[in-house]
Amino acid sequence: MEAKLSKASRALNASPIQEISHLAQRCGAINLAEGFPDFPAPPHVKHAAVAAIAADLNQYRHVQGICDLLAVKMKQNHVLDFDPLTDFVICCGQSEAFAATILATIDQGDEVLIFDPAYETYESCIILAGGIPVYVPLDPPYWTLNVDKFMRSFTGRTKAVVLNSYSPHNPTGKVFSKEELEVIAAACCQMDCLAITDEVYEYITFDTHKHLSIASLPMMKERTIITSSLSKTFSVTGWRIGWACAPTAIASAIRNIHIKVTDSAPAPFQEAALAALQSPPEYFSSLKADYVAKRNFLIKMLSEVGFQVHNKPQGSVFIFAELPKTCLLSDIDFVKELIEKAGVAAVPGRGFFHGDCNDQTQQSRYVRFAFCKSNDTLSAADQKMRSCVGK
Amino acid sequence: MPLLSLANPSSPAGHEMLLLRSASVFRSVSRRISTVRMAAISTSGEKGASPAGQVQLPPSPPPVQVAKRLENFKTTIFTQMSLLAIKHGAINLGQGFPNFDGPEFVKEAAIEAIKEGKNQYARGYGVPELNSAIAERFKKDTGLQVNPEKEVTVTSGCTEAIAATILGLINPGDEVVLFAPFYDSYLATLSMAGAEVKSVTLCPPDFAVPLDELKSVVTKKTRAIMINTPHNPTGKMFNREELEVIASLCIENDILVFTDEVYDKLAFEAEHISIASLPGMYERTVTMNSLGKTFSLTGWKIGWAVAPPHLTWGFRQAHSFLTFSTSTPMQWAASVALRAPDTYYEELKRDYLAKKAILVEGLKAAGFIVYPSSGTYFVMVDHTPFGFENDITFCEYLITEVGVVAIPTSVFYLNPEEGKSLVRFTFCKDEHTLRAAVERMKERLHKR
Repeated sequence: MEAKLSKASRALNASPIQEISHLAQRCGAINLAEGFPDFPAPPHVKHAAVAAIAADLNQYRHVQGICDLLAVKMKQNHVLDFDPLTDFVICCGQSEAFAATILATIDQGDEVLIFDPAYETYESCIILAGGIPVYVPLDPPYWTLNVDKFMRSFTGRTKAVVLNSYSPHNPTGKVFSKEELEVIAAACCQMDCLAITDEVYEYITFDTHKHLSIASLPMMKERTIITSSLSKTFSVTGWRIGWACAPTAIASAIRNIHIKVTDSAPAPFQEAALAALQSPPEYFSSLKADYVAKRNFLIKMLSEVGFQVHNKPQGSVFIFAELPKTCLLSDIDFVKELIEKAGVAAVPGRGFFHGDCNDQTQQSRYVRFAFCKSNDTLSAADQKMRSCVGK
Repeated sequence: MPLLSLANPSSPAGHEMLLLRSASVFRSVSRRISTVRMAAISTSGEKGASPAGQVQLPPSPPPVQVAKRLENFKTTIFTQMSLLAIKHGAINLGQGFPNFDGPEFVKEAAIEAIKEGKNQYARGYGVPELNSAIAERFKKDTGLQVNPEKEVTVTSGCTEAIAATILGLINPGDEVVLFAPFYDSYLATLSMAGAEVKSVTLCPPDFAVPLDELKSVVTKKTRAIMINTPHNPTGKMFNREELEVIASLCIENDILVFTDEVYDKLAFEAEHISIASLPGMYERTVTMNSLGKTFSLTGWKIGWAVAPPHLTWGFRQAHSFLTFSTSTPMQWAASVALRAPDTYYEELKRDYLAKKAILVEGLKAAGFIVYPSSGTYFVMVDHTPFGFENDITFCEYLITEVGVVAIPTSVFYLNPEEGKSLVRFTFCKDEHTLRAAVERMKERLHKR
């Protein structure tokens, strides 16, 4: 009966992150592996969802107000003009927005460039659409764009480039600089490719870094599809409210796919999205401030127990730390020991590297830690890690 | 082209509103833009050189690059009709979702879940409590014992279950048999997967399966048969004889069955039978269902599939990239809903039977030829007594001159001609609305 599976689905494998998660659960470990918060969602957003359910807003809906608010934000944040009636597609999470985008734009044999390290969800999606993922390695230790490798990755079949700067599928927390984005943009224009972005961490950026969307660079708006969601900004990863934003004809194609895949996003949470997207500026600034503090705390902890944190993340909630020089264990063995002995879970980095893009030994030297956790959780993890230093 | 988004933010977004026909726009843009790319490279004169600061911009904005798989999507007549409906204040018996809300105990459960902080990612294939509740319900309904961890997967509505089934289990070129008229997402999703579609038409008055025709259409080359029972839009329920014939064809030719059973609790005139419960069938069947119709919460998007492990695996792969996981608080509420006592289902049926009686009597009195509907909340009727050329012109007239919306069914067939005398009404509306619609039709519809 396995012959009944489609060729594409047989090419996919089970997730290593999930296995570590199960081990962590069995050992009752503090979970710094998974990228979702253990603190509550903001009250005003939850309240709006509860009110929507009670007000009988529970049938199929398209809440146009979300698109109106997103259009305003696009203008405010990126000086980009999008038509709220035609250029947005509300989906079940950024996951669906991305899947619908891929299905809407990728044909059999189309190549899609993905920067490495990256989590495998993009690849699965592309393969299932009949496309070919092509990994472009970023240069450690700062994960900088290697222009030569990047340009040499293009062929006559390249259809799109995926930018995962603000994405959980980017374990490094690295954000492309303006100069790097300009190189990528120029290549997309010259090679007539699309850019597909995943910007779920758009409001979780640090230091002086301001979230810059490639769509705002010259000649890029007409060839960029932006995907994002409520999940990380409002700590509601389980609500499944996301969107794609693109020029009208592409958005229309994405919408057509979305309608056949899920038809609509959960109605009460669409209503709650209105409240979320109308949060005052203070909400966003304190979100950032909280996460900066958490980031700094975790960097300090990791450095002091011996990790090499070359790259201070400029966005997202992850730190991709290199194992201490004195540690001879591989990333997987280290993580298992950390769970079993220190009671702290993290993710081995090798799952984010692909093929022979990077030096093999390099690939097993990284561990990813998440800091989207309450201060109590982070303190507890800190205590446990320190008490196991020199294990 | 006008889209579903209207100035009125509460305008419905049901799937029937969003059928899409391949317009010339899509055809022309779905080809790869290789000619434009070649032009861009040759004019740059700098193939292979670093592009930084040396961009040769294309002469005009890039043509839209959409995938070939969109070529078969049908455009909506319904968008225009829904605009028309609002403009004329028509009573909407077209959209397939209730204008009344779900039960309090289920809504309360969702509210509790949100307040208790169940707002982060659920396990990809479903919250364990919901998987168990689904397995228990399935056992009660079919007698089959299934493993909730390995054979039940939760999705964003049955729409996603259909998409995951097809994308996970169908290869380009695979032959799939459908029964027309069919729910529109089947065809669109099958064409997304590159399937070869064959359809067998169910005809009035009883929409029985033409068994001989089915036997000639199904061959060793057939990969899967899709069933929807109780059936949208006809209200037909597949009976035991029909299912046994389908089953024996599947066993003989090693064919899969994908069955959409979202209306199983709205089975009025006959017993609902799940083909998975027939001998030799569970191992080759994906049984899909959802919360929305049974609990009048269509916007929550909680659906599921029950299938043996070797089929569940492919299904879960597709599901994991389509949406990754399903809305957490609603899953918790769904697990409460599925444990509702039998009295809930009995009352649901009683309520719907009363509504159906109002609509059916009213349609007959107004002059339609009404076909018997055994299940779902739909009724198919023949509009030809009123002298219109086809279902679409009739529905336009019904909106503008009578003030009632029905759905033209020709879009549910591979050959639209087959549906031109038929339209679909729904009775998932409160009684007041149904009576008002019936009055309008009795007053204003005239036979010709």
